Amino acid sequence: MSRNTLKALFVISVVTLITVTASYLIGTEPATVGDVGAIEDSLSEPSFPTASAPDPQPTVVPPPDAEDGGPSVPVSTGLLPDLPAGDPVIPVGLKLGSLGVDAPVVPTGVNQRTGQMAVPNNVRDVAWYQFGSVPGERGSAVLAAHVDLASQGPGVFFNLRTVDEGDVVEVEFSNGTVRVFRVEARTAYQKDELPLDTIFAREGSPVLTLITCGGGFSESSGSYDSNIVVYAVPIPDRDLGSAG
Amino acid sequence: MRTLGRIFLVAVMLLALPAGAVLAQSTDGTVTVLHGIPGDGGFPVDIYVNGDYTAPFIPGLTFTEFAGPVTLPAADYSIEIYAAGADPAATDPALGPLPVTLPAGANATIEAHLDEAGAATASVFVNDISEIAAGETRLTVRHTASAPTVDVLANDGVLFSALSNPNQASGDVPAATYTAKVVPTGETEPVVFEADLALPEGTSTIVYAIGSLADGNFTVAVQTITGLGAAPGGVPTGTAGLATDGFPIALAIAGALALVGLAGSGVALSRRSSN
Repeated sequence: MSRNTLKALFVISVVTLITVTASYLIGTEPATVGDVGAIEDSLSEPSFPTASAPDPQPTVVPPPDAEDGGPSVPVSTGLLPDLPAGDPVIPVGLKLGSLGVDAPVVPTGVNQRTGQMAVPNNVRDVAWYQFGSVPGERGSAVLAAHVDLASQGPGVFFNLRTVDEGDVVEVEFSNGTVRVFRVEARTAYQKDELPLDTIFAREGSPVLTLITCGGGFSESSGSYDSNIVVYAVPIPDRDLGSAG
Repeated sequence: MRTLGRIFLVAVMLLALPAGAVLAQSTDGTVTVLHGIPGDGGFPVDIYVNGDYTAPFIPGLTFTEFAGPVTLPAADYSIEIYAAGADPAATDPALGPLPVTLPAGANATIEAHLDEAGAATASVFVNDISEIAAGETRLTVRHTASAPTVDVLANDGVLFSALSNPNQASGDVPAATYTAKVVPTGETEPVVFEADLALPEGTSTIVYAIGSLADGNFTVAVQTITGLGAAPGGVPTGTAGLATDGFPIALAIAGALALVGLAGSGVALSRRSSN
């Protein structure tokens, strides 16, 4: 090998190293944007009972005094509760303009085998956790979709990790109305540190929570080690149709 | 049933609470009362507690009605049930006195109802308020009617079998709407009761069979306890590793090749220049 060839190889190697390093740094999104803590706090009202939580102000209803004129014990009929009337209004579509996402939304529940949220086994649909909140109502409404599937390639939420504060999210409902949301924060949680009671909170301020997978990937288990979570809040003024 | 004689009840104690039913740091218990004895005009009753006759603790409760839930300090209570408007100081109670021990953290339902033969009695049930797994609902059926042993069918499959007065059966099932039927045990008919039950996720629904099959006033009363749900265990949403934020594989290969090239060319160049 001539000296000039060796020099060329040396230069090419240096340039390649610099390029690799630069493209890695440029290509890496910040892990968190926006005020994640503020959103978590807004959902922090306890939705689920915790056995160890002390009752700070026990409500004791004493037997009534004569001058009360009657007790304060509520009385209710034991009649069978009515079945829900008509079809409930549920989310059916999701638009994320900044990502070019326009996807169908399907209601899901829990995978009975794993106890995890059920997500359709395709890269096209977005899953709505039907036992949680409706988007725009109190609590956290969860929409989850695949970042990718080994059998099908990139998924509808492939670029969720690049969503930015201020991006607009639109949710279309089964009655034709549309609710508009503004992204407040995005972050990544290690899966074993995912704040499940916050993300699936049924009380607290209305938050639309978009979830996919990300972070490191284990080839052996075929799964990511983190969840990418995007929190958005309603912009009622921009809703289309009567909100329902 | 207005002519109920005074009935003496053995002490009904809340013993052997399920671990999940106890709130460790609470010194109170929660009580609901159900009127499950049919009678003229719904057999309205006044309920007095601890011999305090200044006013009924619960006035005018009628058949199929619940009173409560109320939060009370954990303690021993004595409950007396009188026909509505009766003078508790001058007459015997229709039912009671009924001694009830309310342990701290317990959620209990006290029910006046019929025994299998049709006589008035009372039972205290401890309600299971332990957490319900995500996606599930809790159904409890309490047989407190003058009726024989029954099976409870859900969507025509046997859910609870051989349930007899004054016992209960309970299970956590996927949240959904079920067609529930009550039939004589081991049979599929006659169907003595049928209804579509919408059972919400994270909610405990307690169905009480009450009244008398023979007298034609057999029916159900329904109590619900909400807020027992849990979050799912996770959100699995990727299996390909195309979006990993680790060092991308193509860049890693390019980087490794560049390092080899750098080392090789560097070593060769330095050897030649030293010759």
